[in-house]
Amino acid sequence: MPKVNTFKVKVQTGQQGMSEPVHFNFNNHKLPFENVVGSAESGKNFEGNFEVNSFAHSLTLVGPGSGKWEIEKITIEYDCENEKPYTIQFGAVTLDEATEVNIWQDPPVLAFDV
Amino acid sequence: MNFIKRLFTGLKQEADTPVTVDSSVAEEAENSPVTAEAENSPVTAEAENSPVVEEVPEPEPAPSFPDVRNVLQIPVISESIFPENSDAVLIKAQPSPTGDQCLFTANRPLMSGNSWFFLDFESAEGSPLAEGLFCLEDVETVLVCEYTVTVTRKDKTLVDWVPLAKEVGAAIRGALEGGEGLIAEKIIADLPSEDEIREGIQKVIDDEVNPGVAGHGGNITLMTVRGNSVTIQMGGGCQGCSAADLTLKQGIHTSFRKAVPKVGAIFDETDHTAGLNPFFS
Repeated sequence: MPKVNTFKVKVQTGQQGMSEPVHFNFNNHKLPFENVVGSAESGKNFEGNFEVNSFAHSLTLVGPGSGKWEIEKITIEYDCENEKPYTIQFGAVTLDEATEVNIWQDPPVLAFDV
Repeated sequence: MNFIKRLFTGLKQEADTPVTVDSSVAEEAENSPVTAEAENSPVTAEAENSPVVEEVPEPEPAPSFPDVRNVLQIPVISESIFPENSDAVLIKAQPSPTGDQCLFTANRPLMSGNSWFFLDFESAEGSPLAEGLFCLEDVETVLVCEYTVTVTRKDKTLVDWVPLAKEVGAAIRGALEGGEGLIAEKIIADLPSEDEIREGIQKVIDDEVNPGVAGHGGNITLMTVRGNSVTIQMGGGCQGCSAADLTLKQGIHTSFRKAVPKVGAIFDETDHTAGLNPFFS
């Protein structure tokens, strides 16, 4: 459970987008992204980040208040304390008002050649 | 209302109790504006004329429970860890967070479509890959699955996997370059069908594992069977429990392998950080 300094999210929306602001849920606190570029509308790319400076218990991307949001790809760049920055990619998922998707992944375990 | 009740009771007590009053004080009190105001105040008048009504306590609000969040888990898109079209045998070692196991991934298949668990040196007879690994002093068990080998070490106190991992890597490379079949033909020929595995594992879950974990409010569900590899999910009290790894390795694995000796890899796809109150969050 590392301390997350910042994280940056890039979301590629599929055919069905949404016009609402994109929110995430960090340790059960629903918050909007900062430094937003683009949108979550159909076929568009959304980028946003947040300076957390706290320990990650859970981190999810929250679905729209109404309707559906078809996501094609989610890319998250994590900057955690005492860890090298790392990037995680998730595949397609569809969110609605009742669903969130987990976007937290622990830093990758060190692998070495033998 | 309580204030009015207390005031009314107080006035009544004062009336019933004989009080000796210093005449100067009484005179001062009669002339004081506060007393005059109190006598004429509507509160006093109301208190005298109205019956005392017992206050009905307001019902306590129902306890609020946290919203049940429906969190989806989707797989991470993993990029290839090896360069494409490499002729050389490439192997990566990845120690487990608990330190007792190490996963070795090769850039070529070691056992396609199935998996096999080698409990000891005797069980490795006829399988060059496992025989080579059990020749290493600190190797306790070996699990071969698709492109991977998972090695458990005997000495659980050692954290540094590098020296042993290099020896394991050399043994895997040697077996691959040997050109023989890596797994004994007898093992391959006697592999059970998925239905046999499913039936056996479901029975041991129903008869042995779930009654055992039910005491802690837990349950185990068989999710998928692929070849002779199974994937389970831990639910109820097991999901997010700090002892889940112990339950899995010492309880579930042992029960599964005892009841269905030909079961290979046992994967746990439980997200122990999800749920309302997980330990691993």
